[in-house]
Amino acid sequence: MKGLAELKEAGRKAFVAYIMAGDGGLDRLSEQVKFLQDAGVTAIEIGIPFSDPVADGAIIEAAGNRALKKGVTLQKVLDELASWTFEVKVPLVVMTYLNPVVKFGIERFAKECKRAGVSGTIIPDLPYEHRQLVQGSTQKEGIALIQLVTLTTTEERMEAILQEAEGFVYAVTVTGITGARDHLAEEVRDFMKRVRSKSPVPVYAGFGISRVQHVDMLREDVDGFIVGSAIVKAFHENKIEELVPLIDAVTAPSSV
Amino acid sequence: MTKVKICGLMEEAHVKAAEQADAIGFVFAPSRRQVSIERASELAKYAPVDIEKIGVFVNASLEEIEKAIELVPLTMVQLHGDEPDSLVEAIQVPVVQAFSIRSKRDVEVLQKSLADYVLVDAPGTDYRGGSGHVFDWALLEESGIDPSRLIVAGGLTAENVQAAIKQIQPFMVDVSSGVETDGKKDSAKIQKFIQQAKGDLMGQTIEKVGFFGKYGGQFVPETLMKAVKELEDGYDEAKQDPEFIKEYHHYLKEYVGREQPLTFAKRLTEAWGGAKIYLKREDLNHTGAHKINNALGQALLAMRMGKRKIVAETGAGQHGVATATVCALFDLECVIFMGEEDIKRQQLNVFRMKLLGARVESVTKGSSTLKDAVNEALRYWVTNVEDTHYLIGSALGPHPFPTMVRDFQSVIGKETKRQILEHEGRLPDVVLACIGGGSNAIGMFHPFLQDEAVKLIGVEAAGQGTDTEKHAATMTKGTEGVLHGAFMKLLQDDAGQVQEAHSISAGLDYPGVGPEHAYLADIERVEYVPVTDDEALNAVVTFSRLEGIIPALESAHAIAEAEKRAKEMKPDELMVICVSGRGDKDMATYAERLEGLT
Repeated sequence: MKGLAELKEAGRKAFVAYIMAGDGGLDRLSEQVKFLQDAGVTAIEIGIPFSDPVADGAIIEAAGNRALKKGVTLQKVLDELASWTFEVKVPLVVMTYLNPVVKFGIERFAKECKRAGVSGTIIPDLPYEHRQLVQGSTQKEGIALIQLVTLTTTEERMEAILQEAEGFVYAVTVTGITGARDHLAEEVRDFMKRVRSKSPVPVYAGFGISRVQHVDMLREDVDGFIVGSAIVKAFHENKIEELVPLIDAVTAPSSV
Repeated sequence: MTKVKICGLMEEAHVKAAEQADAIGFVFAPSRRQVSIERASELAKYAPVDIEKIGVFVNASLEEIEKAIELVPLTMVQLHGDEPDSLVEAIQVPVVQAFSIRSKRDVEVLQKSLADYVLVDAPGTDYRGGSGHVFDWALLEESGIDPSRLIVAGGLTAENVQAAIKQIQPFMVDVSSGVETDGKKDSAKIQKFIQQAKGDLMGQTIEKVGFFGKYGGQFVPETLMKAVKELEDGYDEAKQDPEFIKEYHHYLKEYVGREQPLTFAKRLTEAWGGAKIYLKREDLNHTGAHKINNALGQALLAMRMGKRKIVAETGAGQHGVATATVCALFDLECVIFMGEEDIKRQQLNVFRMKLLGARVESVTKGSSTLKDAVNEALRYWVTNVEDTHYLIGSALGPHPFPTMVRDFQSVIGKETKRQILEHEGRLPDVVLACIGGGSNAIGMFHPFLQDEAVKLIGVEAAGQGTDTEKHAATMTKGTEGVLHGAFMKLLQDDAGQVQEAHSISAGLDYPGVGPEHAYLADIERVEYVPVTDDEALNAVVTFSRLEGIIPALESAHAIAEAEKRAKEMKPDELMVICVSGRGDKDMATYAERLEGLT
C-alpha cells in the first residue's frame, strides 16, 4: 500500500481493477491477476461473491451469482491467493460484504488475508460507525480497512472518515450502485476536489467508471480510478484486451 | 432527560437516600405520609440545595400553601384536590396538578389544566394521593399531551420505571409506595429506583445507536448513511411531537378503522377445551392486515421530512397494498418491488397495488421472493435517496427501522392490553403472533414485555418441515449474521451466503428475523416455535368454520400453534391470538391446496 502514496507523489494516476473471484472458475483468477498486472494496473480488488450484494449493480451481481454456482467461498479465494507461486507485485485488496466475514470469523479473516498476501479490505456495508467491529483485527495484521465516501456523505462525517483513512479512500462517483454509466454528474468534480483536499491518503474515484472520457473529466481532481463492472464484463465476454486503452489512459506517464 | 421525584418522605435517612433524585415531595394533606410544615422544614435541611422540594396539598387554602412555600421552603407545589383554576394561577412557584386516569374522559379534563405540569396517577382509593395501581399508558399517549409537561406516577417501581420512561418520556417520574416496604420508605429501594430511572438514560443512548443487545445496527452502504441518520433524527423528533402522534392516531381511527375488537372466540374455546381464547382482529383493518399501521406512520413521517416519493418491498403483497394505499391517500409517488414468485402467488394484491396507482416492479433475481425484493428496494433507495423514503414493511433493516416499525405496530399490543383488562380485569396468560420479519409480533408483544407473567410465543414458518431444506424457520435453525442493514438471525450456509426461505405463506417467506426478536429469543422473554405449511392450512379450515373468519396464511401459523397450547391450558386461563390479516389474498392458494374440501 505504500506504493500508492509514492505513485501519488510522483504525480502518476492509479488504476485499481476489480475482479469477481471465481467468475468463470476460481482457477482463472491467477491468469486474470497476471493479465492485469502485466497491463500495468496499480492494485487489484478481489471481489468475494455474496448472495445479497445490495451495493452492486446487475453486472457484478450476475458475476457473483455465477461464482456462487461454482461453489466459490471466502475461504477458497484466500486459499487460492495463498497458493500462487508467481510474484504478485501489485497490492491485492479483498472486497467483500460483511456477512461472509462475520461467518468466517473476523480475526481469522484478518489473519488469513495476511497469509494470502492481501494488503487491504473494502467492506461496503460496514459503515464508519461500526468499523471497530473489524478494524481491531485488521490493524493487528497490517491490513488496511479502506473507507468509502460518497456524494451524500456530510462534511463533518467526511472529515471524521478521512482522518482515519488507511490505504486509499474510495470516493464514490454516483449516488447509486456499481455499474457502467454514460455520464457522470458535474458535481462529482467538486466532490472529488473536496475529498482530495482533506484526505491524507490517495483518493480514487469508483462506481460507473468505464470510459476514457470519465477519466479525462476527473483526472485532475483524483489520484486514481477504480474500474469494476467494465472489467468484470470484459473478462466474462473474453474481451479484456479491449480495456487496455482505458488502463493506459489512466496510467501512462505521458498523459499527466 | 426524565427527572425523578421521591414522594412522601418523613425521615432524614430517606431524604438522604434520595439525594440523587431531582425532586422530593412532602405530603401536607391527610395521609399516612402526612408531615407538618415544621417537620418538612427540618427534613429539607438534609436535601441538596438544587433538588426540587415539592409540597403536596389537597384542597388547601392559598394562605396555607404560601406559608409552606415560605417556611419549608418549597420550590414547587403539587395539587391533588379539586382546586379551582384561580388558585392554580395565584401560586407563585411552578404548580403540578394531579389527575387520576381511568378513561379517555379523565384525559380530556387533564388536557385543560392551567398548571405548569400535570401529574397522572392511578385512581385513588384510600387517600387522594393515589392507590398504587399501574394505569393504562396508551390512553395518555393517544391524547397528544406534551410529554415535557407530564409527571407520571402510580404503581411505579424500580422494575417498571424504565418501561414507563421509555414509553412516555415524561418530564418526571414520581414514586412513593413503590419505594416502600411494609408501608414505610426503604432507603435501598429509593436508591435502586433512582438508579433504574436514571440508568435508562443509558438505555436510551444504546437504543439511539440502534442495538438490541448485540443485534441491530446500521450496516448499510455509505451512500445511505446520511438518509439513515436523517431518518433517525427525524423519527426521534417526530415521536416526541404530540401533534405528530395525534395525527397518526387520527388516521388510525378515521381511515384504518381502529380500534379493532378483541373478539372472544366462543366456539374455538369450546372446541379446543382449554384456555379462553381472544382474537385481536387486525384482519379488520382497512386493506386487510396490520401492515397499514406502519405504512401510515412512516408515510406521515416521510412527508414531515419533505419526501414525497416512496419505495417499498412486499412479500405477500399486504405491505405493498398498505403502502400503495397510503400513497394514494397522501398523493405520494410509489414504487413497490415484489419477487416474481410472489407476484404469481399474489395476483390479486398485485392488481390492487396497480389500481391504487403504484408502480409494481417484478424482481427476478435470487429466489424471486421477499429477500430479493428487499435487495432491489435497497438498491433503488441508494440510487434515489435524496428525495425518496424507503417504507420498510417489517421490523427489519438498519436502525431506526426496527424500532420505528415496532412503535407504529405497538398500537396492536396497547389496544389488546386495554381490552383484555376491560373484558377480564387481568392480563392474558399467553399471547401468540406469527413472525416472518416480525412486525405484527413485535407490535403485539412489546407492550407486554415488562409483564413477565404473560407468556409470549412467536410462531415462524416451518414450511415442509424444519428437518427439510424447505422452511423459513430462522429462529429454530438460523445463525447470527448481517443482512439488509442489521445484525440479526439468518438462514445461511457455512460460507455466510444467505439461503432461500420456503413457506406456503409469502409473508413469512424471509430468511431472517428482525433484531429485537433475536434479542428477545436470547434473553428467553419470547418463545419461538415453528409451524408447518400443512398445520397452517388445517388451522385455516378450523378457524374459518368455527369462527367465521378466514385468516391469512401468516396468521394461520399462530392459530395452529394456539390450538396445541390452548388444549394444555386450563379453562380459567386466557389466551390472545393476533389475527394479523384476513385470508382474501390467499384464496387462490386455499382453492388449490384445499381442493376437494367438503
